[in-house]
Amino acid sequence: MPHDVVPLVLLCLPFAGGVLAWRLRRRQAVTWLAIGVAALALALALAVRPWLAGGAVLRTVVPWLPSLGLDLVLRVDGLAWLFLLLICGIGLLVAVYARYYMPAEDPLGRFYGLLLAFMGAMVGVVTAGNVVQLAFFWELTSLLSFLLIGYWNQGASAREGARTALIVTAGGGLCLFAGVLLLGHIAGSYDLDVILAAGAAIRASALYTPMLVLVALGALTKSAQFPFHFWLPQAMSAPTPVSAFLHSATMVKAGVFLLLRLWPVLAGTEAWFWIIGGAGLASLLLGAAAAVFQQDLKAVLAYSTISHLGLITMLLGLGSALGAVAAIFHIVNHATFKASLFMAAGAVDHETGTRDLRRLGGLRRVMPITATLALVASAAMAGVPLLNGFLSKEMFFAVTLSTHRGVAMDVLVAGLAVLASMFSVIYSLRFAVGVFLGRPRGALPRTPHEPPRWMRLPIGLLVLACVLVGVLPARVIGPTLDLAAGAVLGTALPAFDLAVWHGFTTPLLMSALAFAGGCAAWAGLRGWFAWRETLPLPGRFGAQRLFERVLALVTSSLPRVLEPVYSGRRLQPQLLLIVLAAALAAGLAMYGTPMRFGLRASAVDPAFALLWLLGAVCVVGAVRLAKFHRLAALVLVGGVGLVSCVSFVWLSAPDLAATQLLVEAVTTIVILLGLRWLPKRVAGLSPDPALARWRRYRDGVVAVGAGLGLAALAYAAMLHPVADSASNFYLEKALSEGGGRNVVNVILVDFRGFDTLGEITVLAIVALSVFALLRRFRPAVESVGAPMQQRLQAATREDGYDAGRADYLRIPGLIVQLMAPVIVLFGVHLFLRGHDLPGGGFAAGITVSVALVLLYMARGARWVETRLKVAPLRWIGLGLLLALATGLGALAFGHPFLSSHSRHMTLPLVGELPLASALLFDLGVFGVVVGATSLMLVALAHQSLRRPRPLPDTDAEGG
Amino acid sequence: MELVLALAIGVLGGGGVWLLLRPRTFQVIMGLSLLSYAVNLFIFCVGGLRRGADPVLRAGAALADYTDPLPQALVLTAIVIGFATTALFLVVLLASRGLTGSDHVDGKDGAP
Amino acid sequence: MNAHLLAGPILLPLAAAALQLLLGERRRGAASALGVLSCVGLLGFALALLAAVGDGTTLVYRIGGWPARFGIVLVADRLSVLMLLLTAVLALALLPGVLGRWRRPGSALQPLAQFLLMGLNGSFLTGDLFNLFVFFEVLLAASYGLALHRPGAQRISAGLHYIAINLLASLLFLVGVSLIFGVTGTLNMAALAQLVPQVQANTRALLHAGAAILGVAFLVKAAMWPLGFWLPRSYAAAPPAVAAMFAVMTKVGVYVLLRLSLLLFGAGAGAASAGFGGDWLLWGGAATVAMGVVGMLGARELGRLAGYNVLVSSGSLLGAIGVGRPAVIAGALAYLVVSTLAVAAFFLLAGLLAPREDAEEVPLLEPYDPGGLALYADEDESRPTLPAPVRLLAGGFLVAALLLAGLPPLSGFLAKFALLAPLAGAGTGATVLFALIVAAGLGTVIAMCRVGIQIFWEGEWVFPPIRTGAVTSVAILLGLCLLLTVLADAPMRYLQATAAQLHAPAAYIRAVLP
Repeated sequence: MPHDVVPLVLLCLPFAGGVLAWRLRRRQAVTWLAIGVAALALALALAVRPWLAGGAVLRTVVPWLPSLGLDLVLRVDGLAWLFLLLICGIGLLVAVYARYYMPAEDPLGRFYGLLLAFMGAMVGVVTAGNVVQLAFFWELTSLLSFLLIGYWNQGASAREGARTALIVTAGGGLCLFAGVLLLGHIAGSYDLDVILAAGAAIRASALYTPMLVLVALGALTKSAQFPFHFWLPQAMSAPTPVSAFLHSATMVKAGVFLLLRLWPVLAGTEAWFWIIGGAGLASLLLGAAAAVFQQDLKAVLAYSTISHLGLITMLLGLGSALGAVAAIFHIVNHATFKASLFMAAGAVDHETGTRDLRRLGGLRRVMPITATLALVASAAMAGVPLLNGFLSKEMFFAVTLSTHRGVAMDVLVAGLAVLASMFSVIYSLRFAVGVFLGRPRGALPRTPHEPPRWMRLPIGLLVLACVLVGVLPARVIGPTLDLAAGAVLGTALPAFDLAVWHGFTTPLLMSALAFAGGCAAWAGLRGWFAWRETLPLPGRFGAQRLFERVLALVTSSLPRVLEPVYSGRRLQPQLLLIVLAAALAAGLAMYGTPMRFGLRASAVDPAFALLWLLGAVCVVGAVRLAKFHRLAALVLVGGVGLVSCVSFVWLSAPDLAATQLLVEAVTTIVILLGLRWLPKRVAGLSPDPALARWRRYRDGVVAVGAGLGLAALAYAAMLHPVADSASNFYLEKALSEGGGRNVVNVILVDFRGFDTLGEITVLAIVALSVFALLRRFRPAVESVGAPMQQRLQAATREDGYDAGRADYLRIPGLIVQLMAPVIVLFGVHLFLRGHDLPGGGFAAGITVSVALVLLYMARGARWVETRLKVAPLRWIGLGLLLALATGLGALAFGHPFLSSHSRHMTLPLVGELPLASALLFDLGVFGVVVGATSLMLVALAHQSLRRPRPLPDTDAEGG
Repeated sequence: MELVLALAIGVLGGGGVWLLLRPRTFQVIMGLSLLSYAVNLFIFCVGGLRRGADPVLRAGAALADYTDPLPQALVLTAIVIGFATTALFLVVLLASRGLTGSDHVDGKDGAP
Repeated sequence: MNAHLLAGPILLPLAAAALQLLLGERRRGAASALGVLSCVGLLGFALALLAAVGDGTTLVYRIGGWPARFGIVLVADRLSVLMLLLTAVLALALLPGVLGRWRRPGSALQPLAQFLLMGLNGSFLTGDLFNLFVFFEVLLAASYGLALHRPGAQRISAGLHYIAINLLASLLFLVGVSLIFGVTGTLNMAALAQLVPQVQANTRALLHAGAAILGVAFLVKAAMWPLGFWLPRSYAAAPPAVAAMFAVMTKVGVYVLLRLSLLLFGAGAGAASAGFGGDWLLWGGAATVAMGVVGMLGARELGRLAGYNVLVSSGSLLGAIGVGRPAVIAGALAYLVVSTLAVAAFFLLAGLLAPREDAEEVPLLEPYDPGGLALYADEDESRPTLPAPVRLLAGGFLVAALLLAGLPPLSGFLAKFALLAPLAGAGTGATVLFALIVAAGLGTVIAMCRVGIQIFWEGEWVFPPIRTGAVTSVAILLGLCLLLTVLADAPMRYLQATAAQLHAPAAYIRAVLP
């Protein structure tokens, strides 16, 4: 297999395996699949090694989003390779282990699926040759860890743990995302090689510090560093294999991996030293201290993980080359011994059914092998010679001694280092001795015995690794370490020799000190440790509590405060805001720009002024009466309509006048029909008079302001001529090409016929909606008392139409009945002349439907409907189709949609008749208008015939 | 002339806005009708005010004898659409009155 | 024929709706067949147009054959075709979920849906300001009808607000248009673009006032803070499938703002008018994002949660328009597509998880409370098994949440990347927007995590019977997003070309006014 394909396969294999495992049902098959995939991945990882000889870098590019400079770049160098080994190796062991750890009734498909997918995501992180891609897989690991922690999600602690872990790590991931975007912006590319090459420029950039902070946020959250450490202990409610894999060996290492990856670019500045080093030191100490006081086996391990990661972070923060080497070395060591310890803890939990240190003891009697392994592993954690932990701790001490930042600083750092390792000795002792040595303490939930072989094997292998590295470091780990360090530091590798014995050196002295102190403290204070629940400091350093507070604030308190503001439950404030926004926008837009107008004012005609004085009076009246005297208000508003109607006539817009008049009539009828369903208004119901008054004043001011603004705009707009309006074109072409003398009508049906098409569509839609709404309309309970005339009708309603109905309205009814055909005829007339004189399809349609409604009002719905069949929906549909067909007809002749063809022909009696194709279109308009208007009116009129059904039935469905 | 019409538009607009901000559905619908009158006149007036210049072609009249027809066409469309939406709004407020038992815009008296 | 293609997306649904009206209640089967046909046809038209404008040509269709300045023209360039395609795809994807409902008696849904499509397509295609108003009214009227479908108390009062607010906005629209017409004497967008630089200084103020009022009208529809409080409530109250369709309706406002701000007030508009209103869009968008996040965190109903997601997305878009660089616009368009699909899917999911016909019985989402959790409590390791269909929903929820939060591995991440990358280090406003969008991501994670845990993990949620149709729709929508993750490059190139085209309006003007 060509070498540049291997990384790709390595990346895809686990994902594919994961999907497959998800689908598989049988536990056995799933297990073998997972183990096989992990083993194959490990083999592939090992196979890559030879190609990396001499610091060579393996690069595979798969085009993905080149248009944004984002390709799938797989880049395997020494560092990535080391991590690949960890991921695949420990992944394999965990896969084996989990088979026996997980409860037998669990089919495991989901579990292994997630586990393998996570493995793939980790591979993606470490082999990312592109920082965006790194962030991509980074977030993927957070997500999968969330799902794995919540695997046993019926437990509250699992849910909480998963939630916390996701929010912290995903939040950090988003920061990292932002950080790498900045990084790419500075470096001019997201490609890792380009970025690594641009180190100096990046450190010099003005954006360096924000970028560093963002990246650090990503790394520190992921590696559970102070003050973001609290998610890790909570994550311990995950199944133990997950803890061993994600939360000790791999995922939490992603943070330090990132720091290592970008070490050549970011390290060495003051900001770096204080942020990274500081966080590292704090976590190192506090983690270790907290671990000492835990009573839960896994909690001890979790806090010790925080502390060890702190150690690594601090090593990186110090910024010295040797520090980087030591960091890499400790990453490997910690992964091995911590994973084995987790597995051991899992074994204990699995066998005894508890993880409580106060109940456990003397297990070496019942599970000797596990005990031995656990003892060795915890010795490694404590840093006992001849084990790997010892070596990296020596290196750590050496580094702390070799960095110089003033005497006080040096002494402090060295002292704290010793203190921290003292703590680690203590908790290691508590873990090992407390659980396995000594004598059993009382009864356990289960009677423990040696766990199955396949559960011990992974632990054994890892412990073996600890020992081998501890005894023959140079032989076992040396070359790999060189390779990885070389990948980070380039050619300038610092001098370091991996030997068990360097002679009597200060580091050795420090270790001895730490060891002795640790043992002494443990021997002296073990009782106290056993008794304390948590660290003497505020529980979990308060960070956890702070996190919860903030979360509660943003998700419940803050919204509860803001809800009334933004919920949109009240209409008036929103309308007010819109009005204000419009006024503000217009004002600001005009502010500052000069306003001079070529005057075009004409003399004021007193009659016109008087007319509008009347209009104003109507308006004011309507405004004042609208609340308590609806009818009066309606009449007054109608008056306003008439006034504007008259002024249209006055200002040479006869069509407008006609249409306005008709629409006025229909609107009034519609509202009249609706009025009776509204409740009676009585004064003085306002809940809070003071508030109401204040609102009234406020709205008054707004209204006056809006009015003045509108007036000013209108005045300004009127005072200067319309720059070369299209009018002349229309006037010229109306007759010659539009085939009509009434230019407005020609515009409507021809020049801008498309508008009219839309307009009638709106009519149709509205009619349809009204119809749909009213057929389910239920009048309010108190307004169903039928008025007198209906009560009279009610008697005779059952039989056919109302022959025996009371005499009122008989005469007007008769008149209307006779008038109706005349009105309809007038409508037709309006329609026919429409193209040349004021009128047209719309006016005609309204007229006809008015006639219809007059009939309804005079004769009653049943009377009408027993005589003439109105199918408004048909009218609408046919009208729309006719208009559409007319428009499409033009296509047949190769003209665009709605192209008109006109000819005047003379008929006997009727006289000259314009036969523009537009006439057909207008006929369509007519149909829709008749249909729509009568549909609305009839539907409303019918409400009165409804048998009142008090309550709305809510059998409706969800669309 | 212009001044009068401008003031008229202003009065209509102001009254409309005030009614629009009232809590009763009927007031709101009245306000909307007033506002649409105002807007119709507004559209109409930007074309300029002329007397006795109907845009209906007459024999022997020059182009200058006609007022600009386009705004009138626009107003016609606006009127129709306004009519339709007003009707719909009316029905909706009736339905709301029926279902919530109140004619308050927020469906219940004494909001919030 | 190629020329007539432009009219298709508008006339086809109109014809379908008219025929459905004629068919009436009797033959509902035939009616729904018509609906399906029209949706498929729309997709066909969109694809054909895509092929036609892909190379950067701007198609113009003069209705009635009148020259552009006087008649109404339809214009199709990359942007409008993109929106057409999005609409058609969304409509088609929603079909499986609604077909079942359409067969119910007394439902005006079918023609209304067709009318809505007509209005949407018309608004995307028209090149005339007043005609745009007409199509806005068409789609709004249809949306009123749809939102008020079979109303309960909750739905009717939400609908009342929705209508009142939109009526007011439409009136503002008219005022703005007539002011602009009064100054320039034309309604054709291209002609306007030509005239804007030449407007005399003394009337420019009026032009700006008109544009500003027009802008407010659009911002109401795009739900910018503080004009967008109505959106979450109205959308949450509407039937889920309808709300899902509305997801693209909010984008109409965004589309128009994008179109006009770059056509009329782009670089070529002269010193006095160039970049008019940009800052307002930027800051308003930022505020909208912030408000959306707060709302999302506190949302007590799934529908509201989805609604606030709409706010976040349109806020991000408005802000991006405010920044207005080609790269940003391209990213914004990518984000527009993905967020529209994802939000639509989420609305459907909300409907599947919490039927809100009876507003009183909507299962509420509990706010987060740090209940004293027993750390390391020994879990009982017996797995409760969610029924298979619910597991399906859980998967869908996860995917939708990832898309909305912009987390890997889905196209949401790519869209966020495309939007954020060019914002990095592009001035103060851009930085603020950048930070807000990232924060919005985190907020979405928190909100979705809270909701998901409560619904799927705590085991107290009562799941309504699963409706396969809606599930299919969700699957289609999310599948599309998945597809966009893998085949991201070609679409991205198209979007970049679109942004470039928008920033060079000369070609548009030349095409419309030869």
